[in-house]
Amino acid sequence: MGGGGNIGEESDNPVEINVTAMVDVIFCLCIFFMCSFHFKQLEGRIDTWLPKDRGVFQGQPEKVILEEIRVFMKWDVAGNRTIRKVGNRGEVNSDEDLMNIIIQMTNDYKKAGKSEFPVLIDATPDVPWQEVIHVMDLCKKEKLERIEFAAPFEMMNKGGSKN
Amino acid sequence: MSRRHKAKETTHQNPNLIPMIDIMFLLLLFFMLGADMGQRELEEVMLPKASSMKEDKENKEKDKNKLTINVYHRYEVKCPSYGDGPGNSVKVCRDDAHWRTGIKGKDYSEPEKLGGYLKKEADATRGQDPKNPQVSELKVQIRADQSAPYGLAQRAMNTCAKAGIYKVEVGAARPADDKKKKG
Repeated sequence: MGGGGNIGEESDNPVEINVTAMVDVIFCLCIFFMCSFHFKQLEGRIDTWLPKDRGVFQGQPEKVILEEIRVFMKWDVAGNRTIRKVGNRGEVNSDEDLMNIIIQMTNDYKKAGKSEFPVLIDATPDVPWQEVIHVMDLCKKEKLERIEFAAPFEMMNKGGSKN
Repeated sequence: MSRRHKAKETTHQNPNLIPMIDIMFLLLLFFMLGADMGQRELEEVMLPKASSMKEDKENKEKDKNKLTINVYHRYEVKCPSYGDGPGNSVKVCRDDAHWRTGIKGKDYSEPEKLGGYLKKEADATRGQDPKNPQVSELKVQIRADQSAPYGLAQRAMNTCAKAGIYKVEVGAARPADDKKKKG
């Protein structure tokens, strides 16, 4: 007995407490919190702005001299991919080509003395959200901060301007 | 033989439970502190990846004027066209009935219901800009799943625009390879 026993043994502690019930409860609590626990994903945001005057715009539209930077996105069911176009140009296949066209257009705006040149994303409702975010991400990387979304067809028909 | 058997019966094995209880207490404390018991504003959403996203710092004062709209695939629906596809691609579930638009755990999939709620929330911060008294200063974050069709996010954005909310941001997650680069 002497020296060989553990702390908490009968020999050391004359007042014996039954810890089994407590251990059971702690086990249950532990399992409960372990099951309900989830690790937080590192999240962030991408700022976008909706037009302030949608639906109430009464004035004359601004005379457009430069071509609007509008990225069309359409889902191709047969090809299972997204078709991207800028303005009335042909299909753009790579991200590089897409950004080259957009940068070229922004340079035209800069040359004309314009400081604001929003990139308008005009996608059909069946395009994957990831693809839309990807285009936004590419624009943000090129420091194009003003990204806008085109209003859907039904809203434009109900009155009010797109921008 | 019988004496040895008797000796075996009388020996009491007392395992020392104290270190185990200590560890379990620590584990319990860790999980209790890490558990999110509040009303969950953020649903479990597989956010689209974007390396240009700005990290969201938690700021409760700032968050007072912020609302989060979650667009997520219904947990109870098992859908073969939802989830990760081959390689880095994602599958897209285009069944409207499989998706839910929620705010603070409540279902606002119906545009009228969402519009009514957003209008009510936006009214509190409306009229701060004298030039545009109809617009609201409420900030809305749209956390749509990467597999969601754009139409659902577009619907949420439209409803915001109709309610006079123009400060809209979209939720995104940092890609895994970016995390490695940043160390």
